[in-house]
Amino acid sequence: MDKKEVIIQTRGLRKEYEMGSETVYALRGVDVDIRRNEYIAVMGPSGSGKSTLMNLVGCLDTPTAGEYTLNGVAVQGLEDDELARIRNREIGFVFQTFNLLPRATALHNVELPLIYAGISAKERSRRAEVALERTGLADRMDHKPNELSGGQRQRVAIARALVNEPSILLADEPTGNLDSVTSADIMHVFDELHQEGQTIIMVTHEPDISERAQRVITLRDGMIESHDAKLEHRPFGV
Amino acid sequence: MNPLEGVVLALQQVWAHKLKSAFTLLGVVIGVTFLIAVITIVEGMNRYVEEDVAGTLAGVNTFTVVRRRRVVTGNEQDDARRRAARNPQLTLRDVEIVQGAVPEAWLVSFYEDRGLPDVRRGDERRTNVRLVGGSPDYAELQGWTVETGRGLSELDERRGLRNAVIGSDIIESLFPNESPIDKELRLGAHRFRVVGTFERQGGMLGGFRDAAILIPFSAYRQRFSRSKNEVDAISVKTRTEDEFVEAQQAVEAALRSDRRLRPGEENTFHFETSDDILGTWRTISRILMTAVPGLVLISLVVGGIVIMNIMLLSVAGRIKEIGVRKAIGARRRDILLQFLAEASTLSLVGAGVGILLGIGLATLVERISPLPAAVPAWAIFVALTIGLTVGIASGIYPAWKAAVQDPIVALRSE
Repeated sequence: MDKKEVIIQTRGLRKEYEMGSETVYALRGVDVDIRRNEYIAVMGPSGSGKSTLMNLVGCLDTPTAGEYTLNGVAVQGLEDDELARIRNREIGFVFQTFNLLPRATALHNVELPLIYAGISAKERSRRAEVALERTGLADRMDHKPNELSGGQRQRVAIARALVNEPSILLADEPTGNLDSVTSADIMHVFDELHQEGQTIIMVTHEPDISERAQRVITLRDGMIESHDAKLEHRPFGV
Repeated sequence: MNPLEGVVLALQQVWAHKLKSAFTLLGVVIGVTFLIAVITIVEGMNRYVEEDVAGTLAGVNTFTVVRRRRVVTGNEQDDARRRAARNPQLTLRDVEIVQGAVPEAWLVSFYEDRGLPDVRRGDERRTNVRLVGGSPDYAELQGWTVETGRGLSELDERRGLRNAVIGSDIIESLFPNESPIDKELRLGAHRFRVVGTFERQGGMLGGFRDAAILIPFSAYRQRFSRSKNEVDAISVKTRTEDEFVEAQQAVEAALRSDRRLRPGEENTFHFETSDDILGTWRTISRILMTAVPGLVLISLVVGGIVIMNIMLLSVAGRIKEIGVRKAIGARRRDILLQFLAEASTLSLVGAGVGILLGIGLATLVERISPLPAAVPAWAIFVALTIGLTVGIASGIYPAWKAAVQDPIVALRSE
C-alpha cells in the first residue's frame, strides 16, 4: 500500500442544525483519512449526510464538533474569509448543474478563481487557457455556456475547478445531468486527472461510477457504514 | 478584487435593458440635470452680473446718493429700514452740496424718474415706459451711449426744452420702420421732440435703459414732478478707485454737516454702489444655491431608492451566482465590492446623462431667454461625486445582503 501523506483527516466530525423545533443530526462522528492522489467515491442514500460531509470537506461550512485538518491546517473554527481563501486555493468544486456564469465566456468562467486569488490579468488568461486545453476545450474558449453542450459545460467547470491547482477536486454528482455517452467522456476526464496525480472526491449514486474509484465511503444516518477499500491493495499505475 | 467586473457587468445590463435602465436612473438623471442646469445658469448670471450689470447699472467708480436703500438685500434689519423711512427727501440743495464737495473734473448727475402710463405717437401707443428727468451728465455717467442723433445738452437743461432721447424698445414700438429723430411724441399731456436714441443694452437688465425716455431734468420738474426741488438720486463718478473712496468720504462729510448730524448719529441718506446691486444678486444666488440642492436632494433620494430596489432584485436573481462565486473563493468583501461597483456604475451613468441633459437645458435656456449660461468644471465634478455617493449609498444594503449569503444555501437556490 502506498504511503502517501494524508491531506484530509477528520476526527469525530459532527454537524447538527436546527430545523424548526427539531435538531437534525446530519453527521454523528465521522473519521475519515484521505491521502494525496486518492480517488474516493462517497455514496449513501439521501439524508445519509453525504452532502453535509461534502460541505464540510469543501470548507463551505464548519462542523459543530470534531476536527477537520486539510493539508495540515485545522479548518474547524476558521473565519468566513479564511474559509473562502482555503476554498480558493485548496479545493476545486465540480457541480451537478455546472454552475457557470451564464453571461461570461468559458475563458472568463475559468479565470474567476484566479481573480479572487489576486492573479494578474495576463497570468490569469494564460493559466485559464492551459486548464481549458487540459479538459479538451481549447477551441471553445470564447463561447458562452448557452453555446456549449452539457458535456462541454462540465469540462469548463472542471477546468475552473483545476485552474488554481487545488489539493482536492470535489465533485458532486458530476454526471447527474448528462447522458450516458457524455457521462463516460467526463468520467474519462476524471480518470486522466487522477492519473496525473489529482486527489478526487466524488459524490455519486451510481455504482458503475463508484467502480472507478479506489475506495468507496458509504454513509448511513450520519455515520460511516463501510470503507470499501477494495482497491487499496492494488498498486498504483495498474 | 473585481470591482471592474461589476462595472462592466453594470454597463452591459444598462445597455441590454435600455428602457428599464432609463426608468431606474430617472431620479438620478432628473436630480443631476436640474443641479447642473441651475448651477450653470447661476454661474452664468454671476459672471454676467459681475462683468456687465455692475458696470452698466451702477457704473465703475460710481456711487449714488439716495434717500434710502432701494435694492432690498434681505439682510437689512427691520428697524434700520423703519429709521431710513424717516430720511428726508434729497433736494437740489443736496445736489449743490455734493457738487461743492468734489472737484469739478468728476461727473455729478442727478435725476428723478417715474413710470409713465403710456407714450403716444399719433394713434400708436406704448405702455410700460420709464420717464427719466436727468441732468446733462446723466447719460454719460450711466454709460448710456447715444446711437443716433444727439444726447441732452446744457442748453436743453437751462431752457427746459421738451427734447427727448429714447431707448431701443420705444423705437421698436413706435418707429419700427423709420428714423425717430425730429419726430414728435406725446408724453402724457405734453409734446416732446425726439433728438436722439440710445444704443440697445439688451439682456436681462436692458429693460431699464431700453424702455426709458430721457428728458431734461428742468423739463421733467416743470411738467411731471409733484415737488419742484426734489431729486431721486445724485450720482458721482470719479476717475480712479482711490478717488472713489475719497469722494464718498467728502460727500458724506458735507451732507452730514449740512444736516447737522452729530458724531455717532446714523446717516440720513444712503450710498448706493455696485456692491449694493451685487449684494442683491448674491442674495438671490445664495437662495437659489441653497434651495435647489434641497429639491435636487429629493429626486436623488427617490433615485437612490429606485436603484436600491433594482439592486435588491438583481441580488435576488443572482443568488446562485453568488453561491458559485463564494464556493470558488470570493470573500464577503469581493461580493460586496462587485455589487457596490454595479450600483455605482448605474448611478454614475445616470449622473453622466444628467450632466449632458443639464448642459443641454442650460444651453436651451440661454437660447430662448436673456439668461446666460456657463458650465463650471466643478459642477461636473460635484455631479459625478453625487452620482457615486448615491450609487454607494443605495448599493450598500443590497451588496451587504449579497455578501453575507450562506454559500450552501445560495448554491442550492434555483
